[in-house]
Parts: sequence; C-alpha cells; structure tokens
Amino acid sequence: MDSEIIIEIEHIAKIYEMGVEQVFAIRDISLTLRRNEYIAIMGPSGSGKSTLMNIIGCLDTPTFGKYHFNKMAVEEMTDDELAQIRNKEIGFVFQTFNLLPRATALKNVELPLVYGGYSSSAREEIAIKTLEHVGLADRMMHKPNELSGGQRQRVAIARALVTNPSIILADEPTGNLDTKTGEEIMKLFNDLWKQGNTIIIVTHEEDIAKHAHRIIRLRDGLVERDEINTSPIEW
Amino acid sequence: MKFTEFIETIKLAGESMRGNKMRSFLAALGVVIGISFVILTGWIISGLDNALEETINLIGQDMIYIDKWDWTGGKNWKLYEARKDITLKQAEEFCSRMKGAELAVPLVRKWSVTIKAGNDSYDGISALGTRYSYSQTPAASIQEGRFFSIFEDQINTNVIVLGSKVAETLFPEGNVLEKIIIIRGQKFEVIGTVKKQGTMLMDFVDNQVFMPVGAFMDVFGGQMLRSAEVGIKVGNMDNIDEIREEARGIMREIRNLQYYQDDDFSLNETKAFEETVASLRAYVWGIGIGLTMLSFIVGIIGIMNIMFVSVAERTREIGIRKAIGAKKASILMQFIVESAALCFFGAVISFVLCSTVIFLAATFLPKVWEATSFLKPVMPFQFLILGSVVSIIVGILAGLIPAMRAAKLDPVDSLRYE
Ligand SMILES: Nc1ncnc2c1ncn2[C@@H]1O[C@H](COP(=O)(O)OP(=O)(O)O)[C@@H](O)[C@H]1O
Ligand SMILES: [Mg+2]
Repeated sequence: MDSEIIIEIEHIAKIYEMGVEQVFAIRDISLTLRRNEYIAIMGPSGSGKSTLMNIIGCLDTPTFGKYHFNKMAVEEMTDDELAQIRNKEIGFVFQTFNLLPRATALKNVELPLVYGGYSSSAREEIAIKTLEHVGLADRMMHKPNELSGGQRQRVAIARALVTNPSIILADEPTGNLDTKTGEEIMKLFNDLWKQGNTIIIVTHEEDIAKHAHRIIRLRDGLVERDEINTSPIEW
Repeated sequence: MKFTEFIETIKLAGESMRGNKMRSFLAALGVVIGISFVILTGWIISGLDNALEETINLIGQDMIYIDKWDWTGGKNWKLYEARKDITLKQAEEFCSRMKGAELAVPLVRKWSVTIKAGNDSYDGISALGTRYSYSQTPAASIQEGRFFSIFEDQINTNVIVLGSKVAETLFPEGNVLEKIIIIRGQKFEVIGTVKKQGTMLMDFVDNQVFMPVGAFMDVFGGQMLRSAEVGIKVGNMDNIDEIREEARGIMREIRNLQYYQDDDFSLNETKAFEETVASLRAYVWGIGIGLTMLSFIVGIIGIMNIMFVSVAERTREIGIRKAIGAKKASILMQFIVESAALCFFGAVISFVLCSTVIFLAATFLPKVWEATSFLKPVMPFQFLILGSVVSIIVGILAGLIPAMRAAKLDPVDSLRYE
C-alpha cells in the first residue's frame, strides 16, 4: 500500500493565545497520509482533533512545523492560494452540516463550483450528478430545513465531493444523527472510499472509527497511537 | 473572479434584499431621498433653462430694446424711476435716424386696460401701440389672421391683434376674426391673434393686444402713459456691437446728454434674462447640492450600518463560503455588490417617486401658482443615468468597509460563530 503521499506533516504545533495564557491545541504532531487511505481520528474532547482537521484542510495554519499538501509547502501559501486548495483539493463535511439555509440542495452543492469558475450549465450538470450519487436525486430543489438530518448530511457530502477533491475531511459527521442514520452515512463514506476517495473522519465513537482502516488517537495535542485497523467493518 | 461568479453574486444580492424587504427599504431611504433631490433639482433647472430659451426666442436674440427701465435691475429701480420718460416723439425720431439695424420701431404701452366684447369685459390687459413693421419680430408671431398693414398704420385704423390669452378669454368659442371689441368707448376690429408664447420670465405677453400707434394715441393719448420704448431688430448678429453703439449714440443725442452724463436709458437684450436665470440656477443648484450631499451622507451611514449588521449576521455563512474555497475578493465583492444593489434599488424607488412628483407637480402646481408654469412633466433622462451611477458609487463606498471586514474574517472563527 505504497500509494502516492498526499499529506505530509512534520512536527506541527498550534498555539492559541488566550489573553496572557497560551493554549496548546496541538503540541507536536507528525503524520503521513497516502491516497485512498481511510482514517479515523479519535480522542477525547479538547484533544486537538478539530484543530488538526482544520490544519489538514488548509482552513488554518500551524504555528510551528511544516505541512506539505501534494508536495506543496502550505505554510508558504497566500490566503488566496489556500482558498484555491480548499476549493479544488479538499472536501469538508461538518457535524452541523453547515449548509446555506436559504439555498436549495442543488444550489448548495453548486457553490464550490461557483468559486471554481464553472459556467452555470456545467455547475448544474455536475451538481445533479453528485446529488444522484449520494441518493438525493428527488430532493434537489428542497431547502435544508425541508430535509432530514441524514439528508442534510448527504447534501453536505455531495458538496464536499462535487469538485472531485484529493481528500474528504469529515469532523464528527454523525455527531448530530441518530445511530441508524449515522450508519447509513458511514456506508456512504465506505462506498466513496471504495471508489478511490481518500477519507479522514474525526469521531469519538469507537463504532464509527471501526469503519476506518487506520485509527489515529490523539491526547492533549499529541498522537497517542497510530494503528492499522486489521478488521474494518465493510458492507 | 470569473464572470459567472459575478452573476451569482448579483443574484445573491437580490435574494438577500428580498429576504429583508423592510430593512432594505429603510436602509435605502437616505439614498432614495438623495437621488430624488438630484433628479428634482435637475428637473427644475431644466425647466428654468427651457423657460429661458423660450423667453429668448420670444424676445429674439437679435433684439435690443431701448427703455427707461433696465430689465434686470431690480435693486436700482429708484435710479431708473428718476430718469425722464422717453416720449413717443423721441422714440419716433430715434427710429427715423437708426440706419444700421434691420428694423427699429417705437412701442407705447398702457397697463391695466379693460376690453369689452358684447356683455363681457376683461381687464388687466396690456395694450401696445406700435408700427406695422413690429410684425417682423418674434413677439408678434401671428397665430390666426394678420398683423396690421402699413396702410392701416398710416391712417390710424382701429384694428387690433390679440394675445392668445385675451383671445381665449373674450372669445372662448373661437371665431375671433372680424369681431368688434371696445376699449374706452372706441370700437376696434380684431384682425389677428398672436401665438401663445408666455414664459415664466415674461408671463404677461399672452395678455397683450397690439394696435397702430396712432390709434393707440387716439384712445390713450390724454392719459398718463408709461415711458415709450424702441424695439431694434439687429438682423445680422455680427453687427450687434456696432449697432448697440450706434443706438446709444443716437439716443444720447436725442436725450441731449453731455459727454460727462451717464445714459438715462437702458439697452435691454436677452442677455439680461440669461443673467437672471443664471442666478436662479445657481440658487437652485446650491440648495439641491446641499440637500443632496446631506442625504447622501445620511444614506451612506445608513447603508454602512446595515451592511455591518448583515456581515455580523452572516458570519457563519462567510465561514462556510471560505471553507469551500471563496477567496477574499469573492467575499469582498459579495458584500459590495449587495450594498450597491441596495442603493440602486433606492435609486429605482426614487425614479418612480420622482416621476410621480414631476407629473403631478407639472400638471397641477401651475394651476394654483402661475410662476411654476415653467415646470414640464418630463423626467430628465440624463438624470436617470446620473442617479443610477451615483447610487452605485454611493453603494460601493458605503459597502467597502463592512465588506473588507467580511473578507478578513478568519474561516475557523467564523465557522464556530453562533
Ligand atoms: N480558536 C481557539 N481559541 C482558543 N482556544 C482554542 C481555539 N480552538 C481550539 N482551542 C482549544 O484547543 C484545544 C483543542 O481544541 P479542538 O481541536 O477543538 O479539540 P477537539 O476537536 O478534539 O474537541 C481545546 O482546549 C480548545 O479549547
Ligand atoms: Mg472538535
């Protein structure tokens, strides 16, 4: 499994200044991620999972350390270059879905393509295909408040997928869903992984993490354990 | 930023405004008022310009009127009043000596004349005695019938040409020609009417009647007459300076002025009206610009405030947009376009408002207040363009700082924002 390296993190730290106090959200983490890996990041609340995700997703930058994304040095990038990486290479899925409430499912999924400069007809075509892919062909014209939690998360996943990114980052994607719906979403991630996507999921539930093939456990901003899951749950 | 993204940005601004109709309207109110001032000021000015042009055309740009009174000099009226009247004899002498001009005719006037026709009578008319050749001036443009002939002029026939308002009032059913009217017991035959041509600056012209100077003297001769005038038609405008000087020289001789004495008469030209209108214009612009500035300042503050609120309310949305790849410029543009759209929306409201005001004011105001009859029920087109451009610029200015704040927001912090 020596596929191409997508992410290479060397000794990063993230420090938040809270007045005079310094909070070490990440103390010292080094990681290497390859194409088509399926990873779960686990750890107790406050252990730095979200911070790490944001850094991997180029939404945030580390205070110290080096980060290479597809061999490009992220710490040297401008804000606009980071925005472009987020747009083309990264698909975010959030616990709270983070859809635009006034826009239809279709418009939400089209949004990354708007910033990617696609024409309106191309946008619509790709977005429809992606929504069909996540099983929402019949809900495209609904607004988020007309959809169930599971459907909303599918819209969010479609939005993450629509630009065909190098990696999908999901921060507690089942945190706001009941167990059954959560399982359905995990099945969708499993399908996406089988189709060749690279997936990182943050969770604090063992049941969710068991789907992944590699589990990274964080504690106090450090990697506590980084192990291969020899028997991932498959469908 | 690509064009297709810009289109989306405009759609977004529209949606956002529709989502907050009342707030958008209130925010745009300052701009509505500001643009309305621009349009209404422009409208009044263009009305004044029209009135000026009409007046100039009525009097004739190539006319010089010698008068005891200076037509512009409101302040110095005492000085003019002290001047000796110009007698009809002096005026006639002048006309016979004035060679360079195309035409020079004496004019004698009597205000507040009463005319009777059958049982009707109409007063407040200005009667003008002049020569047949006055028909060559714009002030005597014939509508119907004819002006009096050289023959009628020489034998002092009692014929009369009516101003349009006089004709309308005395003979509302038409058929004016050959009617008989009575002035101070003397009968006159109506032989023509003059085109309607009163303007704001010369509203009395439609209330005039014209008759041969001899007939005029027969009727009013024994009365206190106003100082006589001379109307000079220059003809070739290239010669106006020489003709003015020639006229001045002849008149000074007739009035027996010594070299050290000032003129005791005035040479009035249409320029006098241009000056009057220029000062009116400056006055209107002054008020208009002042009020416009004031309301734009209020408008900018209002819009800026609303945009700050809008940015704060949509912090999370900004975070989402950034997370999926919106660049700073995209966010900046989103809020600037929204602000500009808000102001443009204000401008459109003010277009509708002003059209209504312009139509109503031009239709009804002159009926109760004659002086406003220069107002025309036409929306000055160039002010629609000006208003649109100004409103968009105002919107961009007002939206700039809130939009910059939005663009600078940290994506992680914005996503955490509740
Ligand atoms: N913007 C921030 N300002 C200050 N402290 C922060 C900020 N973000 C995270 N932290 C702190 O960093 C630590 C790690 O946070 P986070 O990565 O969100 O943990 P997790 O997702 O594992 O619960 C926590 O102690 C949190 O309080
Ligand atoms: Mg977290």
